[in-house]
This record gives sequence, structure tokens and C-alpha cells, in this order.
Amino acid sequence: MAQSRKDIVAWVGSHVLPHEAAVRAWLRRWTGRGQDIDDVIQEAYCRLAELDDVTHIGSGRAYLFQTTRNIVLEQVRRSKIVRIDNVTDMGALNIDDETPPLDRVVAGARELQRVQALIERLPSKCRRVFILRRIHGVSQREIAKMFGISENAVEKQAVRGLKAILKALEGDERTAESQGENHERSRDRTRSR
Amino acid sequence: MSVRETVPEVADEAAVWATRIDAGAVDPNNDAALRHWLEEDPRRRGALLRAEAALSFVDRARALGGVVPKPSPRPIWIRRKLVFLGAALAASLAGVLLLLPGALHYSTGLGQMLNVPLTDGSVVSLNTLSAVDVTMRAKAREITLVRGEAWFQVAHDVQRPFVVSAGRVRVRAVGTAFTVYRQDHGADVLVTEGVVETWTAGKEDQIVRVAAGSKAYVDEYDSAKLTLVTTDGARALAWREGQIVLEGETVKEAIAQFNRYNTIKLTVADSSLAEEKVVGQFRATEPMRFAEAVSTILGATITQQGDTIQLSPARRH
Repeated sequence: MAQSRKDIVAWVGSHVLPHEAAVRAWLRRWTGRGQDIDDVIQEAYCRLAELDDVTHIGSGRAYLFQTTRNIVLEQVRRSKIVRIDNVTDMGALNIDDETPPLDRVVAGARELQRVQALIERLPSKCRRVFILRRIHGVSQREIAKMFGISENAVEKQAVRGLKAILKALEGDERTAESQGENHERSRDRTRSR
Repeated sequence: MSVRETVPEVADEAAVWATRIDAGAVDPNNDAALRHWLEEDPRRRGALLRAEAALSFVDRARALGGVVPKPSPRPIWIRRKLVFLGAALAASLAGVLLLLPGALHYSTGLGQMLNVPLTDGSVVSLNTLSAVDVTMRAKAREITLVRGEAWFQVAHDVQRPFVVSAGRVRVRAVGTAFTVYRQDHGADVLVTEGVVETWTAGKEDQIVRVAAGSKAYVDEYDSAKLTLVTTDGARALAWREGQIVLEGETVKEAIAQFNRYNTIKLTVADSSLAEEKVVGQFRATEPMRFAEAVSTILGATITQQGDTIQLSPARRH
């Protein structure tokens, strides 16, 4: 029987998203230069979105590793997106999720800390809106009244907060910077399409 | 159709839709504008799921007690923390049962290079004629460098030290990157990121720390007998790209590097030619290119016989 949409969203939020940063870091190391990790991660979420039941997935972390791996392999077969010299031996790849559960708890907790630090760093209005909405469950309409601003303005702040969270869940920005060359390339390619 | 959106652009739009769905302003199952947006680009469905999941993730943070320093009564906060600790403890007990006894074995032949992603997020790159055994345990990551040279980029995990054994030489890291190259009576340890600790089996009281940019030769019987030199990590790792980068090595040293990778062996017939210094970048599997470069620059003569390429000084006319 199909699960409710809300259940799937909640499962992705608690079992997949906290591991995205780890998978991205792994992809960066594994594929070296010339791999558009954003595209791979994006595609993995698309595949998740196609499922109408996720109860058969034992580990969200393992699922994300496995799915991104498959996507990279398919890209290699289909085109020249991935540098072939870096991935020729991917047959040797073996991802059983043998990470002990404690580590997974820790990974989740680490992401939560990251998000917490990020919320604290949001501009003050955005932070107050975000905390009222998410932590205290106040409706956008009430927040608008409290601040004396339009609901549209509240939505803008809420969107801004969410964008920042999404960015933070990608992982360590410093690591991302060291891959600057990567981003250049992927941007060029996107443009030329 | 307009220019294809970048992934971050799709993510930003998805953030708007997710916020509206969350506010109850849009019904995710029945909203014409949302459906239209989703149908225009198949990537958008994934981006929306991710954005909604992120909101759910933040809510989960609240449930776990403490994403936001909320001035809640202290006892409740402590209790939440205890619940979390309890869960972690139970998880760690389960982890013990998940011990994986089997070691995975990876190896390369002559001239091969292999990148192996490990399940903990670390990566091992094997150079030519190298082999490692990898054993992942709940409390330790154990790697044996059976032969050759390997570069390790270690995923940070203080709970599970990452220890490489090369004969009797040990190298321990938590989250860092380094190369271990087995030698006849020890191993070269080259650190490209962070710090590692290295020692010789049986001499655990003589642990030496090696920091990024340094290379240590660790003797198999005496870790105190260690030589440290500063080195250019990027150049030393050129092999990961299948390259040999020469910056003032002698012809003799360069030849030794090429011969690690190829069936076709280079030799040099003349001692003064052997001591000439060379600069350049070559594919490790193309010794003839190197021979040709030496021939052009230093005026050497190339003679190929079977699997041997011999470099000799130019004949004098």
C-alpha cells in the first residue's frame, strides 16, 4: 500500500538528508575533478520522489550511497561527463552500509548542530520568523500580524531561511571551495546545454 | 524553451513551493500551478522533495531537543538530552553486533592505478603494483598495505581510528590524507593534509607525529630512526592522475619512476647523462615520450631492443 506523501517526506528528512553531506564528500573524493555532484544528488532525490513507498528501504544512508553510485555509473556509460580515468575501476566499489548505527546517530546529530549554527547566523528578522514558524509552529498569518508586515513578506523570510538550510545540508563550505574548479566546469557545461 | 536552470536555481524555486505547502497555502496533491511547475522539468520533483524534507529535518531537530536555544525549563531539556543519549547508547550496543570480520582485498598490476571508495567515506588510491586489505570494524578501521604505495584520504571519525599497517610500520589518522609507500626495511609516510601518528610495531612508546607537507621514512625496527623532509604533496600525488612530474630529478631517478609502471624498462648507458637534471610532466605509462624528450633536450640517442629502451649520449660525428 502506498505511504502518505507526508510520511515519505518525513522519512527522507530523517533518514536521507542528514547523510547528504557525507555522500557529497564521498562523491567528490571518489570521482575527483570533472563530476557534477549537484546533478547526481538532484537525480537521486528525483528517484526517491518517484517512489510511493519507502518502507522497503532498510537504510536511507545506504540507499543514498547506492543510488548516487548507480547514477554516476549510468552517466559514465552514457556520456563523457565523468572522467573515465577516475572511475574505470568502480566495479571494485562495494557499498554495504556497514557504518555502525552509532555513527549514523552522530552524523544526524552533526547535521543538526550545523543547522542550529546556521539558524543562529541568519539575519535577525529571518531568524525570528524561522524560529516562530518552525520551532513554535506559529502560522504565517499570525507572524505577519505580530511583526506588522504582509504575509508575503513573512513567506519571503521563511523561504530565505529554508534556502540557507538547504545550502548547509550540502556540507562543509570549505571543502566545496577547494573544489572551485569543479563548480566552474559544471556551470560552463550547464550553460552550453 | 528557456535556458536550462542550474541545480541551485531549481532548489531555490523548490524552497518557495515547499514553504507554501508548509504554510498550507498550496495543496501538494491538488494545485494546478504546482503541477504545471513540476511537469515542466523532471528535476523539480526531486528538488521539492528535498526542500520539504529539509523542513521536516528541522522539525525533527526540535523533537530531539535543542536545535534552537529556547529558554525552556531546564529539567525538560535534561530529560530530552538523556533520551538522546539513551538512544545513542542502544545504537552503540547494536553496533558491536554489526562487526564485519571479512577483510576486503584490493590490488593493482603493473602500471595500474585504482581509486577505492570505502564505506566510511574514505578513499584509498593504489599506485602501480600495490595491494591493501581493508577491514572496517565498529571501533576501528584497519588497513594493511600488503605491498606498494597507497594514498589515503581519511573521512573524519574520532570513534574509529584509521590505522595503516605497512609491515611493522603503523600510521594512525583520524581525518587526514597521507601516502604510505613500502620500502625494503620500512615505509615512507607522506602527509598531504592534517597530521598522522606513526610508529613501529613493538615501539608504541615512540610515536612520531608527521604533519602536512612532510615526508617521514619510518624504519621497520626503530621508529625513532626517522628522517623528516618537507615535500610538495601535490607533486608527490601526481601518480593519482597517472602522471609523473619531474622538477629537477636526475635522469636516473626519473627512469626509476617510469620503470615502476611499465613492462618496457628504461635504462641509461652513461653516468653523466644519468645525472642530468630534468623538468617536465609525463604520463607514467608513456616511457617513450620521456625518452624522446631526453633525446631532444639532452641530445641523447634512443635504442629500443625488446622491452628495453636505452638512452645513451649522442654519437659524436
